Amino acid sequence: MKAHLGRFIRLCACLGLLPLVSVAFAQIDRSRFLVIPYGWLRLLVGFIVVTGGIALAAYLYGRATRPNKAGTYALTAASHMFIWVFILLTLFPVINLLAVSFNRANNLNTPPPREGNLLVRAGVLPNPENFSLVQYRTVLSDTNLFWYQWVLVGLLVVAGLVLIGAIFTNRTNPGSRSVERVRNAAIWALIGSAVVLVLSINNSQFYSVNEAGERNPSSSEKKVVLFIRNTLLVSGLTGLFAVAISTTAGYAFARMKFDGRYSTLLGFIFVQMFPGFMALVAIFYLMNYLGLLNTFTGLILAYSGGAIAFASWIFKGYLESISPSLEEAALVDGATRWGAFWRIILPISIPMLLFIFLLQFIGTYSEFILANILLTGDDKWTVGIGLRSFTSGRFATQWGTLAASAVLGSLPILIIFYSFQNALTGQYTAGGVKG
Amino acid sequence: MTVDISRPVSDYLPKGSGGTGGRLWKSLLLLLLAITIAAGATFITLWLAQQIVPGAPPYIGFLGGLAALIVSLQVIARRFEWIMPWYYLLPSILFLLTFALFPVVLTIILAFTDYAGIRNGELNISSRTDIVGVQGNTVTVADSATLRCEALRDGCADVAAVIDVSGTSTVTATSLEGTALTLAEPLLEGASPSVVTLELTDIGFSAEFNITAAQGNTLTLERAPPGEVDLENVGLEVPSEGIRRTMLAVDGNTVTLDDPLPEGATYAAITRYNDFGFVGVQNFTAILRQAGRALGPVFLWNLLFAVSTVLINTVFGVFLAIFLNNKDLKFRNFYRTLLIIPWALPSIITIQVWKGFLNSNFGAINRSLALLDLPVLDWLGEVWPARGAILLVNLWLGLPFMMTATLGALSAIPEDLYEAARIDGANVWQRVTGVTLPLLRTALVPITLTGFAFNFNNFGLIFLLTGGGPGYEGGTSTARGTDILISWAYNEAFQAVGGYAYGLGSAISLLIFFITIAVSLVNFRVTGALKEESNI
Repeated sequence: MKAHLGRFIRLCACLGLLPLVSVAFAQIDRSRFLVIPYGWLRLLVGFIVVTGGIALAAYLYGRATRPNKAGTYALTAASHMFIWVFILLTLFPVINLLAVSFNRANNLNTPPPREGNLLVRAGVLPNPENFSLVQYRTVLSDTNLFWYQWVLVGLLVVAGLVLIGAIFTNRTNPGSRSVERVRNAAIWALIGSAVVLVLSINNSQFYSVNEAGERNPSSSEKKVVLFIRNTLLVSGLTGLFAVAISTTAGYAFARMKFDGRYSTLLGFIFVQMFPGFMALVAIFYLMNYLGLLNTFTGLILAYSGGAIAFASWIFKGYLESISPSLEEAALVDGATRWGAFWRIILPISIPMLLFIFLLQFIGTYSEFILANILLTGDDKWTVGIGLRSFTSGRFATQWGTLAASAVLGSLPILIIFYSFQNALTGQYTAGGVKG
Repeated sequence: MTVDISRPVSDYLPKGSGGTGGRLWKSLLLLLLAITIAAGATFITLWLAQQIVPGAPPYIGFLGGLAALIVSLQVIARRFEWIMPWYYLLPSILFLLTFALFPVVLTIILAFTDYAGIRNGELNISSRTDIVGVQGNTVTVADSATLRCEALRDGCADVAAVIDVSGTSTVTATSLEGTALTLAEPLLEGASPSVVTLELTDIGFSAEFNITAAQGNTLTLERAPPGEVDLENVGLEVPSEGIRRTMLAVDGNTVTLDDPLPEGATYAAITRYNDFGFVGVQNFTAILRQAGRALGPVFLWNLLFAVSTVLINTVFGVFLAIFLNNKDLKFRNFYRTLLIIPWALPSIITIQVWKGFLNSNFGAINRSLALLDLPVLDWLGEVWPARGAILLVNLWLGLPFMMTATLGALSAIPEDLYEAARIDGANVWQRVTGVTLPLLRTALVPITLTGFAFNFNNFGLIFLLTGGGPGYEGGTSTARGTDILISWAYNEAFQAVGGYAYGLGSAISLLIFFITIAVSLVNFRVTGALKEESNI
């Protein structure tokens, strides 16, 4: 009991030090901010009281129903509270971003209103009275799609909705053949229209028409759709390229025995440890020499080094985890090595290849340094570089535009991530088990 | 075919699939031969392409190389069947050699050069100086200061230069038949005129005619001039493609060249090339010389950042995962889905959004802190708050991953261990510290080491959030408060404040290579990732 008391006193002392620390740090003029005196203390006490109350209620409930589980009940109730704190902290930036993107105020320094919700008055959240779609309208205003691209956009949305519907129907009524057929059709329509859209949109479609009927090329903050298209194109091609080149290598490593296998494997691993950006000057020099600066080809090739090594390594691991008996049967039946690879291994590893593609796709989407060095013209920029042009320089006047662009730019990856959530996060779960 | 199942499967496999049978060097030599042929074909194709279409992009050559490669591989495979495994590896190996290994080698080479924005081996347009007179191999220029010889390593000696043949010159022609214009004297070396101006005597004014071909002293015009022309007075326009020479010395306004210029032409201007070459260990001594102001602080912060961010993320990740691992917790999958949102958003975008939140006067972070009466910091304007901001944002970005990985590791801990602990009378706290944490450690060590290696070079986070800043007193303009090694190298190489010192940037990259190798070796030693492979 004494040890507990000592711990308690030390905890109190630490908490007591916090206000002192806060005074020491308070060097910024605080008159500009809305301050609740000792707000942190109120919040802390409030949280402890609420959590304690809920835990106590759970404990009492548990003691009345299942006495030996009462402690667990209290603990679980408190866990809910703790996790909600984490969730709120995690989601706060996302909610704030969404709110800003749907707000008329474009300036970060817009003064908060005098009345209304406490958080709104403090400027923590934007004023809901200024709700507007103007940021999105600005960002998209100069995007002039051709009629067939509008059709494709429509198809994309319809296919997406059909797909969601089909998945839900499948969950309530599994095993229906027609639903499955509809789902497959929707998937193909989705992929097809997305690919054609990405390939067909180009820089010349971004202009505004003035009163005299002349076309003015857009400034870069109105080209977000183009940036997204560029990023999707580069990421998609890098992923496809990595998968196409590395499958044979992964197969050779997994299934063939030859001299130099171990050293080659080691070489692949070492290369994988050096992503292209570490040799950034050399990549820049090489691409300059090859005349591939400011081209997607150059960027994709620069990514390919790390991508191929990584993809071969994963594919090798996958092949080693499945039994070779299937191909051996085919080989005994007279198939060639290549035939066995092409007709048996590739078809059965399509889910794995998709997984490798997605990993590469998501990784490339967020790459910054090489894209920043190699892509110089704003018609070639990726989303990250485009956003950077809003944050450096004219930042204070571009906050709303940035938020709307950020939301639009995040959507593709968000959709892909949650569509394949289990596959994408499961590997680390499995990795943890193995380690 | 009857199959005798007592024999090993390999007896039935087709030839050329079992392995190279110890012929490693032979295989590599054959591959090298094929690649050499392909490389030769690449250069020949490139040369031919540039002869036919001047200015053809260099990568055209690769198409020819690819064709040659496929043909030579076919021929080799017919003769040496056992080489097949290498064929499966060849595409990857080729790309790795070109776009992964070669840049590393190039980095090592460039680290020993003074390659820079003003030393890039290219034509320096701003050094263009007018030529006043030419005498054999000596050229008198209007102002030799424009050549800026002092910016070069050994002055202008042994530096290449281009001498422009005068933009327009007046020559005499002998005859005009249709579109063929014959000049009195053959064209000068290096001069490829594009336009002639002819005085049309019938009409009384002059007109320009494009030249489609120039051979010796005969020019072929695009269209025939109408009526008579003044043959005595032909204006010849030469685009600025000039004669290339090497400068030997510059003395006053006199430039001595290695070869005399052809006589009889008017020369407009001389433009020098930028030089760049090996400077030994000069880049490394430069790094060491400012070790106290740049290398030291940057390296220490780099290490501190990588270690502390991994520690913080792991602590929070484990904490959250232990809560979420509670089987009695309802909605735990829903909670998990909400908590991994930062992982699902592209970090390249969210980091830049965080920059807005961290704005000291108007950002949501400071407004929230002020609302709670907590200390308000100038997050991006001062060194230590900026470092804190980086750790905070990286926690937000990395927590979902650590949480998921820890949940995976937790689910692998057998339930009966907890059961045994419970029977032995351990309470919740003792079960966490006695069972969960020790078993987690083995699973988390590889993850944290990978996280360390990743964060050690986490350029995107630093560059997009703080840009390496803020600067501090006593630091340099390229290695500021939150710069890590890789962003320092970037600043030296690609930011104007670093003077585009590519060589210095490469030297820093080389240091990063060594550190990364060391970290990875430790990683392999600890995790034993390669052990099972080496036994095969």
